[in-house]
Formats: sequence, structure tokens, C-alpha cells
Amino acid sequence: MHKRSLLLAAAVILAAFAVGLVFFFMFSAPYGDGLEKTMENAGVDEPAPVYRAPLEYGDSYPVALAMGGLGFIIVLGSAFLLARMMRKKGK
Amino acid sequence: MVEVHIPDGLIDPLVAGAGWLLAILILAVATRVVNRKVEDRHIPLMAMLAAGIFVAQMLNFPIGGGTTGHLVGAALAAILLGPFAGAVIIMVILVIQCLVFGDGGVTTLGLNFLNMGFIGCFTGYYIYGAFPERYAKAGMFVAAWLAVFLGSLACAAELALSNQMSNGTFGISTVIAFPSMTIYHAIIGIGEGIITTGIIAFLARVSPEMLRMPKITSGSPSGPIVEVATDA
Repeated sequence: MHKRSLLLAAAVILAAFAVGLVFFFMFSAPYGDGLEKTMENAGVDEPAPVYRAPLEYGDSYPVALAMGGLGFIIVLGSAFLLARMMRKKGK
Repeated sequence: MVEVHIPDGLIDPLVAGAGWLLAILILAVATRVVNRKVEDRHIPLMAMLAAGIFVAQMLNFPIGGGTTGHLVGAALAAILLGPFAGAVIIMVILVIQCLVFGDGGVTTLGLNFLNMGFIGCFTGYYIYGAFPERYAKAGMFVAAWLAVFLGSLACAAELALSNQMSNGTFGISTVIAFPSMTIYHAIIGIGEGIITTGIIAFLARVSPEMLRMPKITSGSPSGPIVEVATDA
């Protein structure tokens, strides 16, 4: 993948995320996923976390968009560095 | 926004510890294989795929009855990169979700990896590989569906085992955990199958060389090559 195709891929993914997030807030935001629904069916409340993370996804479109963008960059950078380290180790 | 992985405090500490142990062993093998087989051309794909799956996991879709699901992306990663590299990038995503965004527990990170990274990637890759090339799309769909379904079955087993081992202090009873988890995820898996097949078909149109990249496997230098008809 060349630098230009990488930037294009990142732009396409982030644009798709920005659009998808609109539909998320329209149709899915108030509802839990399969595991949360299972916990609800069993009458189990979500226990307190052992570790409190510095950020959360947010409950509004702008915050979620910003957090998604930030997460995208963090994951991209971490996975890139890790893959490069693994490549160097394997050489 | 919903957080989507097993949280802290839900699983019996012994089960969570066993999950960590297994996850460390699997990751040790996976990183060894990736170290040996990864090429320069895999690096940007691994990074972009990980980042793309991260944002996709934030986008829950409704499945009816006030329940939602989201892409796991393990089958997608495994089909494009091979199961070992797929498992490694799923772990990167889980660690960042957990440590930066509080999505999924620290104590349950090992189990979340087993359910999504290990079961998802290896099921996805080998089920897809079992399909003949002319049924590649059907193979992707079935592989992605099974990756989610089997992961949910494992999660149900962990919840039920926790419940039995702790006499009800942790986990969820067997009679609720199994039917509830598997029914929801059988439906969520359909979404996973459609999205996985759609993304690979899209990549086949815009970047076919990406799909022909050798897969990172422990055996032969390259696994099955993803070939999807671009006129579909």
C-alpha cells in the first residue's frame, strides 16, 4: 500500500464511520448488545470496573465522532508500530 | 454509547485467570508465527485493518427486540491476513478499547481475546478455506457467521461455568446464558456475514492486490488466496 492509498483508505473508513454513526444514533444508541441483553435477562447489573479508563465513547454524535477518530489514530499507530517491531524481529 | 465486551466483575476470578493464561499462550505462538512470516507489505494492511475494525465495532446495528450487535471483524482480519496476524490485531484493538475507553474489563481481557480473537480468527480462516473458490462469497458469509456464533457459545460457557463455580456470585445461570447468548448472536452473525462479505467484495474492486497478499500462517508460506469476482 502506497502512502496515497493509505491516506485514501483512512479517509474512506473515517467518512463511512461518520455516516454510520448517524444511523447508530438514530436506531441503536439506546439499546444494549447481545451480552448486555443477556445480563438484563438474568437480572445482572454491570459490576463496577476494576480499572477506570481515561476516556469513554461518549453519548452524543460529536463526542463519539471525536472518540472514534482518536481511537482510529491510536489503534492505527499501535498496530503499525507493533507490526514493524515484529517484522524487525523476524528479519 | 454501549460498551460491548465482557466487563470486570462478571466472571469468576479462576475462570478469568484461566482465560488470561490461555490468551498469553496463544498470543505467544501467534507473535512467533507473525515474527517469522510478516513481510513489509503486510504492515500497512495490519494497521489499517485494525483501525477500521476499531471504528466499525463502535457502530452497533439493531437486530430487533431492543437489542443491537456490531461487527467483530475477526473473520475479516483472518481472511485477509491469516489467523495469526488476525488474532494479534484483534488483541491490539481489545487492549486499546479496554485501557483507553473502558470497553471490556481488564480481568476479562483474556476471555474477550479467546472469544473474539482466537475463536473468531481461527474459525473464520479455516471455515472460509474449506469452501471451494467458486463459493468464496458463501464461504466468507458462513465463516463470519460461525466466528460470531462460536464466540458467543464460548462466552455463554464462561458465564455458566463462573455461575456454577461461584454458586451464583458471578456469571449467569446456564439456562439463561446459553439460549440468550446464542439466539442473539445467531442474528448478529448474519450482520457480521453480510458486512464481511461486502467489505471483501468492495476491496476486490478497489484494491485486488491487497487480497492476493500471502496469508500469515504457520504452515505453507501463503494460505488460501481470496479471489472474489469483481463483477458481482
